[in-house]
Amino acid sequence: MKIARPFPAVGIGYRSAIGGWTRENLAHFDTLEITVDHCISSGESVASEIFDLVGQIPMTAHGVGLSIGTDVPLDLAYLDKVASIVERLQPPAYSEHLAFTRAPGRDLANLLPLPRTEEIAEAIIAKVRIVQSHIPVPFLLENISYLFEWPDSAMTDVEFLNLICGKTGAGLLLDVENLYLNAHNHGFDPHAFLDDLPAGIVKEVHVAGGITVHKDFLARPVLADSHSHPVPDGALDLLDRVLVRHRPDAIVLERDDRLREFDEILADIRRIRARVDVVKRENDHASALVAASD
Amino acid sequence: MPARLLQRQTSLLEYLTSADAIFGDGIDAPSVPHLQGFDLVPLRLEACFSHEKRMEKIIAAFPRTFELLGGDKATLVRDFVAACPSVDIRRIENARQFYDFVCARWEATQPQPSYLRDVASCEFAMARLRGRVQPSQPVASGRAMRFRRNRDAVFLPCAHDIRPIFEGATSEAPARRDLMLAILIPPRTNEPAIFEVPASVYALLVELDNWTGRATLGAMEGLDELISDLVGHGLLEVSR
Repeated sequence: MKIARPFPAVGIGYRSAIGGWTRENLAHFDTLEITVDHCISSGESVASEIFDLVGQIPMTAHGVGLSIGTDVPLDLAYLDKVASIVERLQPPAYSEHLAFTRAPGRDLANLLPLPRTEEIAEAIIAKVRIVQSHIPVPFLLENISYLFEWPDSAMTDVEFLNLICGKTGAGLLLDVENLYLNAHNHGFDPHAFLDDLPAGIVKEVHVAGGITVHKDFLARPVLADSHSHPVPDGALDLLDRVLVRHRPDAIVLERDDRLREFDEILADIRRIRARVDVVKRENDHASALVAASD
Repeated sequence: MPARLLQRQTSLLEYLTSADAIFGDGIDAPSVPHLQGFDLVPLRLEACFSHEKRMEKIIAAFPRTFELLGGDKATLVRDFVAACPSVDIRRIENARQFYDFVCARWEATQPQPSYLRDVASCEFAMARLRGRVQPSQPVASGRAMRFRRNRDAVFLPCAHDIRPIFEGATSEAPARRDLMLAILIPPRTNEPAIFEVPASVYALLVELDNWTGRATLGAMEGLDELISDLVGHGLLEVSR
């Protein structure tokens, strides 16, 4: 059974640690983002909790275990598992990070950036096509937050994303928090990044709140993507700008720490909805003005 | 010829999972090849973040072990990092790496306190059980029933009665005595529990490794009550 989904749907990433609370509060959300890896490797009880939600609320599918950027062939057995979960969840899309997390013999379990070169982009493009042939819903790539740069990177973030998405037809899952803190940590203009994205490429959005990290070996504080605190206003300002030029299907609040701060989570959902409502009203007003002048 | 990306990724991950990067020991002169041109300060930050996330997973599996480690904690974690770099994203695999590491360490040197090995073993058993779904059981009655030891239950011979540590009831050291503990998820619950299994009961459970009909077990006095009790605690599975 298909369930009507408001546009854009506003929701959270499902976390089994607060699964009970989430199930009791479904009315607050239009969608749940399911991390497919939780269905694959967190045990039968977590998977069955998630599958029990099918039909109760629309879902979107997200992954953390593909490591599309590792310079080895894709793990097709893993993709088959993802495909079978996607069949059960019936999401509008499946998303993964433009990153790598492992190499043979090591798994950092953390998303790492790739050298942004045309050669690497070509390798990723070939892999995206394989993913698209395996998974029966549109594939989206997500921009990650990163702390370091490869010395041979020759393209900007947005050029790299545009090249890969443009050649494959993959959509973008734009993580505005990642954009917000990358811009701060690496000193670039996030608005220029957004302006350089082709209109309509953003199919889903992630928002989250992180922390400021002070370490004695750092010259200045660094913003970290900890998914632990309220979404900063600066990230929501970027969301406003996204909504002017893109029509994402879903806006998902990610929270992985301080999970029991339920009031903060619900307050963030209200703040996101308020931003969406303002942009919608402004867009409607602009459309009305255009219609009146015709 | 420039190194292939995979070589560079492997080198990078080796560095990010090294004690040098995590603890800042060799930040000025990393010995890993293929890292020329990288700014090492953000690499060290990346290494710290990844290490902290990994240790959060491990501490979540061994909360009482870490509480009891006391002053040895920092040295032990440092030695663990040097011996066991991260090779798997899954919580249970990181917990297994840590458990194997401490077992080998405590084989060579008696842990302090001495009951730490029992506590760690119990916590690892609980970590392995979490997330499993318990199948519903038919009611254990009638001679047509067959029984089998719960294959998911972990039987742990211990040198201390560590149960009070898990019940949070005492600050006293656990009593020194040899006993068999069973760790399992009881019926209609989601969290692992710990039971003491007397030697005679353990002997019966070992006999019931495969499906066995009630009639085969004979007519020992009180056997039906014992079977019913074991089924109630989840130590025995029932089949019609």
